[in-house]
Amino acid sequence: MEPDLVPPTTEAIRRWSGVECPNAAARLGLADMAGLIADMEKLRGTMVFEDEPASFELALRQCKEAGK
Amino acid sequence: MSDLAELSMTEAADAFARGEVKAEALVRACLARIDAHNPKLNVTIRLDREAALDAASAADHARAIGINAGKLGGVPMMHKDMYYRRGKVSTCGSKIRKDFVADKTATVLLKLDAAGAIDMGTLNMAEFAQNPTGHNAHYGHCHNPWNLDYCTGGSSSGSGAGVAGRLFYAALGSDTGGSIRLPASICGVTGLKATQTRVSRHGVMPLSFSADNVGPLVRTAKDAARFLAITAGQDPNDATSAPEPVPDYEAALTGDIRGMRIAVCSTWFLDGADAPVLAAFEAALQVLKDRGATVDYVAAPSMPAIATYVSVISRVEGAAIHANWMREYPQDYAIHLNARLYGGYAIPGHYYVESLARRGPLLKQFVAETLTGYDLVATPAVKTRVPTLAETDIDENPANWARFMAVSANTRPFNYLGLPTISIPCGFDDRGLPVGLQLAGRPFAESTVLKAADAYQRATDWHRRSPLM
Repeated sequence: MEPDLVPPTTEAIRRWSGVECPNAAARLGLADMAGLIADMEKLRGTMVFEDEPASFELALRQCKEAGK
Repeated sequence: MSDLAELSMTEAADAFARGEVKAEALVRACLARIDAHNPKLNVTIRLDREAALDAASAADHARAIGINAGKLGGVPMMHKDMYYRRGKVSTCGSKIRKDFVADKTATVLLKLDAAGAIDMGTLNMAEFAQNPTGHNAHYGHCHNPWNLDYCTGGSSSGSGAGVAGRLFYAALGSDTGGSIRLPASICGVTGLKATQTRVSRHGVMPLSFSADNVGPLVRTAKDAARFLAITAGQDPNDATSAPEPVPDYEAALTGDIRGMRIAVCSTWFLDGADAPVLAAFEAALQVLKDRGATVDYVAAPSMPAIATYVSVISRVEGAAIHANWMREYPQDYAIHLNARLYGGYAIPGHYYVESLARRGPLLKQFVAETLTGYDLVATPAVKTRVPTLAETDIDENPANWARFMAVSANTRPFNYLGLPTISIPCGFDDRGLPVGLQLAGRPFAESTVLKAADAYQRATDWHRRSPLM
């Protein structure tokens, strides 16, 4: 039984990206997205207002070995 | 020398520099191995046989008249078919780019050329570097030289199988979720992913620009040290490349790791690990302890967040750069690839931004949790036994998806974190397939990572063992 999220998601992808569902494996992959949604739900509230992607390069420099 | 193919990259380069072996002999030794074993392994995509012999002849002539050939002088290599060389086809392992002729040359290839390496051609790989097993529906699957029924690991499949099979001395791979370290572990060679931004990606096929890395598959940590010293450094053609100075990595390889502190995460990386893998991993830790390192078990509570976010970034970036072809030529992708790309279009944009925005804070958190008071983190590179090609073939059976993705569970997090990470051979499982030890250090601590790997290889001979093909 295909999860409920698959048909509306294929329609949303078609509308937003113009990409058609290519095969049955892709539909299975979409069904697995429920797991990713659940994982992202667990992380809600961890991102703070000032977090931004450029903090990664800064963190690379800040986390170097002492003296390097 | 009795068997030139058994030399490591640095041994071959140093023998050439001393005049003990000619470049032509090295190339002919590799060509003989390719002729004998490539029909079984399916490692190459394009072999430039005559060009390699011409380059070897030129290298021998230059050396004879006293010209310094460079630190990789006379050494034959082949590279994953996604490193562009002007005027040459780079298929990227795909049908879509089977006739794509590059209009530029990758910075890393130019650096290897300048160091005297001989480029013999290009290697099989996962289509667009997008799977962890090495399956390829267009050019045929690459086969593991330790047992042809088993996968090589991917996506740098030809690089791993070819170095393990002694078909050449070194190969470039690329690593976005483990694609250097996985074939290194699964084929029994050494593979290094440096710190994110350490090596230029100019002229390299993109997969996920936030997490793509360039690096070598070779026989030894010493090989990796020399290779990295030649290829690392800031590149004006890659705005993301770091301005950090490049140290003499080989000078750090003293064999002395007394006092080095190694952390092992008690959860996540060992969860669900197969017993033969755990046994090899624990034996490897004992070797490091015997050489004077200390090993402690630590917690890593940030791992679930790291694993989730890395999955979002690679899927969304992959989906974005393939969108035109997914609209126009979806049938030209393998089933497992267009299925994987398709899911990326379903992920909301704010999830992607969150995944990138949390990367810096999570790197700091991981370092605080697991590297405060420690020099390295150790894990098995692959926590399961090596799967067969059939067990991980999604095109034939989509139900193999979980087994397929499990292969890269221990490598992907380090792409999100951007940390320098190596896989070195540390034994074999109960089916005779290699097991890899993964060592990760702080940002730009490649010297520490290589020093530990080299010390381990001075005490063991797993990296010297050859598959009987």
